[in-house]
Amino acid sequence: MPNGGSNSAVAVWSVLRKECRTEWRTRYGLNAALLFAVASLTAVSFAAGRLGNRTDIMAALFWIVLLFATLASMSHAFVREVEARTMLLLRLVATPTEIAVGKLLFNLLFLLVIEAVTVPLFMVLMGAPPVRWGQFLAVLGLGTVSLAASSTLVGAVIAQTRGRGALFAGVSLPLLLPVLAAAVGGTREMWAANSVAPSLKLLGAYAVALLAASLLLYDHLWED
Amino acid sequence: MSASSLRIAGVEIAHRFGPRVAVRPVSFDVSAPGVAAVTGENGSGKSTLLRILCGLLRPSRGQCVFEVDGRAVEPRRRRLFTGLATPELSFYEEFSAAENLAFAAETRGLPNPTSAVRLALERVGLTPRADDRVSAFSSGMKQRLRLAFAILHEPPVIMLDEPGSHLDDAGRAVVEHIVQTYGPKSLVLIATNEPREMALAERRIELSGRGLERTA
Repeated sequence: MPNGGSNSAVAVWSVLRKECRTEWRTRYGLNAALLFAVASLTAVSFAAGRLGNRTDIMAALFWIVLLFATLASMSHAFVREVEARTMLLLRLVATPTEIAVGKLLFNLLFLLVIEAVTVPLFMVLMGAPPVRWGQFLAVLGLGTVSLAASSTLVGAVIAQTRGRGALFAGVSLPLLLPVLAAAVGGTREMWAANSVAPSLKLLGAYAVALLAASLLLYDHLWED
Repeated sequence: MSASSLRIAGVEIAHRFGPRVAVRPVSFDVSAPGVAAVTGENGSGKSTLLRILCGLLRPSRGQCVFEVDGRAVEPRRRRLFTGLATPELSFYEEFSAAENLAFAAETRGLPNPTSAVRLALERVGLTPRADDRVSAFSSGMKQRLRLAFAILHEPPVIMLDEPGSHLDDAGRAVVEHIVQTYGPKSLVLIATNEPREMALAERRIELSGRGLERTA
């Protein structure tokens, strides 16, 4: 007999565990993301040296490294399921919202791992001035949620379309620009010892709007 | 919930993919317990009809009735009551057979996933290869895994799309055993053109379409 009252939290947790196990076994995205982060930071460090007095450039560079290190792999969260033809299995065992929320949580976790490596490396190689940790972590946290939410949403929407690769870039750009602008602005103001409140408000509102739109949309995904 | 209170009916169900007619209008009414065969030429829409019935696809025309205890089940909840084995179903190649089924059992929220997985693998004869990765499986073993996936949660509706494909005689006997086990208590739908599989059914849903048809 079926478990008619299928528990969504259990399903989300199960999808998250499956994603972690898949990533652990294949290292599909993690190695590529870490390679990009380390290689790009090392290259900039060799070319320009330490940028301690150019906090504006550092703020932009920091978010560019994070963005590119993560987007290439996060866009594959759904595409991999389609290409491996496992999407049908997923759809038979969970609702679209459960699948998408599980993948969103995985993307958040993935970003945190990348950041755990990238942030200290960035501080050392770029000679970044001391950070105000409360403000820095707030900008980083909200920026991370927004990045993960937007890339998960776009990945889910384009997963079953043709020309997914090109579409991902095109559809992501307008969603990511506000995140990048606010995150770079907040990081720059943090280093300049100015208030980061406006950037935090924008990032927070954007993250909430993205998550709300995602939850509304996910259940209508993949309806043929 | 009793499986005997389950009913699936189609009222002039039809479907098209763009200009191509996938399913010509068909009407039927089947209920549990029992075994029904969905038959028709290649491309007549047998697989498409199963996808419509289990809520994965919305028909272009007509109405699909899926009732449990006299109450209509909306398409997105039909997967809870349905076990589907179809050639389109693939598994995670980096996981073992047991891990794939355990993922399905846990995500479905089964109360005892471990014993459900063990029992399903036993029934399809995959216990000796339970811990092998799916990437090392033959086509026949993958087909057995699809059958295990379909019966994993003991659903009141089991839909088997070309269940004997890639199977040897022992595998076909597994299909027959599943149909004989679940037929008396559930509704089993078999999409097939194999006489041996059609003989397992007491009712038939005949599809009339031709696969290469492009206009209505």
